[in-house]
Amino acid sequence: MMLAAEALGFRYPKAASAALDSVSLGVSGGEVMGLLGPNGAGKSTLIALLAGVIAPTSGRVKRDARLSTAGQVAWVPQDFAFYPMLTARENLAVFAGVLGLSGAACAARIERAIAYGQLATFVDRPARTLSGGMKRRLNLALALLGDPAVLLLDEPTAGVDPQSRAFLLDTVRALRNEGRAVIYTSHYMEEIEAVADRVAILDYGCVLAEGTLDAVCALAGTHARIAVGGPLPAPLAQDWQKHYALSAVGPQTWSLQLGAPEELAGVLEALKRHNVPLRSAQCGRATLEDVFLQLTQRALRDDA
Amino acid sequence: MSAVLIRVAALWRKEALALLRDPHALAALFVMPAVFILIMSFALRDAFDPAALKPRSVLVQQDDSPAARTLVAALRRSVAGFDQARAVPLAEARRAVGRGEAAFAVVLQAGVGAAILGPEPGAAAGKVQILVDPTVAVVAQQAIRQQVGAVLGQVQAGEMSRRMQALMGVPLPVPMDAVALPAMQRADGRSQQPSAVQQSVPAWLIFGLFFVVIPLAPVFIAERQFGTLVRLRAMGASPGLLIAGKLPPFVLLNLLQACLMLAVGAWLVPALGGEALRLPGAGGLAALAMVSVAVSAAAIGWAFLVASIARTSEQATVIGGVGNILMAAIGGVMVPRFVMPAAMQPLTQVSPMAWALDAFHAVLLRDAPLADLALPMLALLGFGATCLTLAAWALRRSRVTA
Repeated sequence: MMLAAEALGFRYPKAASAALDSVSLGVSGGEVMGLLGPNGAGKSTLIALLAGVIAPTSGRVKRDARLSTAGQVAWVPQDFAFYPMLTARENLAVFAGVLGLSGAACAARIERAIAYGQLATFVDRPARTLSGGMKRRLNLALALLGDPAVLLLDEPTAGVDPQSRAFLLDTVRALRNEGRAVIYTSHYMEEIEAVADRVAILDYGCVLAEGTLDAVCALAGTHARIAVGGPLPAPLAQDWQKHYALSAVGPQTWSLQLGAPEELAGVLEALKRHNVPLRSAQCGRATLEDVFLQLTQRALRDDA
Repeated sequence: MSAVLIRVAALWRKEALALLRDPHALAALFVMPAVFILIMSFALRDAFDPAALKPRSVLVQQDDSPAARTLVAALRRSVAGFDQARAVPLAEARRAVGRGEAAFAVVLQAGVGAAILGPEPGAAAGKVQILVDPTVAVVAQQAIRQQVGAVLGQVQAGEMSRRMQALMGVPLPVPMDAVALPAMQRADGRSQQPSAVQQSVPAWLIFGLFFVVIPLAPVFIAERQFGTLVRLRAMGASPGLLIAGKLPPFVLLNLLQACLMLAVGAWLVPALGGEALRLPGAGGLAALAMVSVAVSAAAIGWAFLVASIARTSEQATVIGGVGNILMAAIGGVMVPRFVMPAAMQPLTQVSPMAWALDAFHAVLLRDAPLADLALPMLALLGFGATCLTLAAWALRRSRVTA
């Protein structure tokens, strides 16, 4: 492992409960670890601990010996952590200087970061005038100045348009293909499915599931998703809750955990018996969202 | 260049660029105090120059006896602002003083000449009336009354001496028809008195230095709120490096301000017709630099405290601005301390601006030795250190990331 959390715990001063409780996970070079969890799950705290910004209350962060140089573990925070009154290029120069870079090496790193973030067309504009997507790209480019071996990306696509999101996801994949280790937090499961080689689901400061995408999805078995044309009768909802771990995923859209695909026939029969009109039904291997709902018992963005 | 110097230089460059992109801060730091110095140096010029205190006045002379004429001549020679007094009827005098066209009028009633020559000591004073504009400062009203009274007494004594001379044939050593005032000079023996510009420059220079909160606080708040400070830490910037990247640029900025304000007093004010600020010699300039650094430390400490307790730049601007104005009002910057009531003057010492003013006045007006500057400078450095400690404590309390 290039970077690993070992039984990591953290409690904020005066907090009633721990933000992280004995979390163990790690990431290797050439791998993207997707860190999934609802708001308040402890993702950002874990990232801050891995970045060395805060010290753990218990446990430790184990770093590969190659990560001792400044900038080798690069953190991309959720916020636009740069100076809005400076241009993108000036921001890059300031942070490159803080990393101790100077002269030709500094200029080369800045040009490379500009190329990575595709910032060339607006690099001389004040950062405050950039669009949300441009700011996200600058935020990422700043982290690349140190030519990092490990990247810690904390919700790097929050608030961006689909084009910028696609660009950022492509960039993450390219960084992985260069052999860098990436920890990518999000509460957008489709993003995690798109880039992650391994996934960890975090809630209330604990790792609920961790492994490859397939392994994590297999934990939830077969899932059915049905959309109906009216409310579920209470007796039916209670029965399904008991037998199929029923959970709502949208307006009159429900997720059920089935023992086998054949059980879907019984579900549809029950709807017909209770005169609930069916609009659509899907059945198959559980998605990441299904696993998440099963493990956290709540919709992904319910407290966003 | 060493790695540490490269890193510090990057942070200095950032502060410099941020400041140059902030026209409001530049105006608050350089234009505002310079304008205050210009305005106050001219507005307060007469308050520091007794010769300039020449209120317009009129004379009502209802007695034309020789003794009354002697009194008028003596009044014109001795009472400030009375040398050019027009002789007018009583009604016109009342109208002129009532409208504020004249600050005061001296009314010599009929019979004042006889009263001067008469045996009754207080009779002459009863025949002299002073009409005064109520907007004239009470101190000035008292000065006019005392000057007129002194002249009246002097004329009576002169008349008495003349009569004694006529009766006894003894020559008088000196004429006694004018009031002679004792000379007044500074305790250090200099002939030059402190001028308005020497009072205004240090006062508004200090005020300007404390406005370093305007550029410092918003950048620091943005760094704190948007995770830039944490990103810098994650990039390996130690707290010491961050402080080294923050403090020297603002101390340098304060010193630039001090130089500019002193230059305004020394060259711009006289170029516009005012009196020049008298700059001290080389030793005094070094003392001025030391005092400026001490004031800068206090101002930067205060700015960090404001930046650490404010949540937004707008809050910092309000807290910093209002705080500065209160410290200036209490500390004798806006209203000179000697103008305040005696009971209020000790209260000025609660404001660090008063300590700073004491230190600047000691250098500029008294050429005080360094030992005399130690106490106010230590107080200023202590204030800055206390503010920085409180700021660190406030930041620790509010530091929550996830």
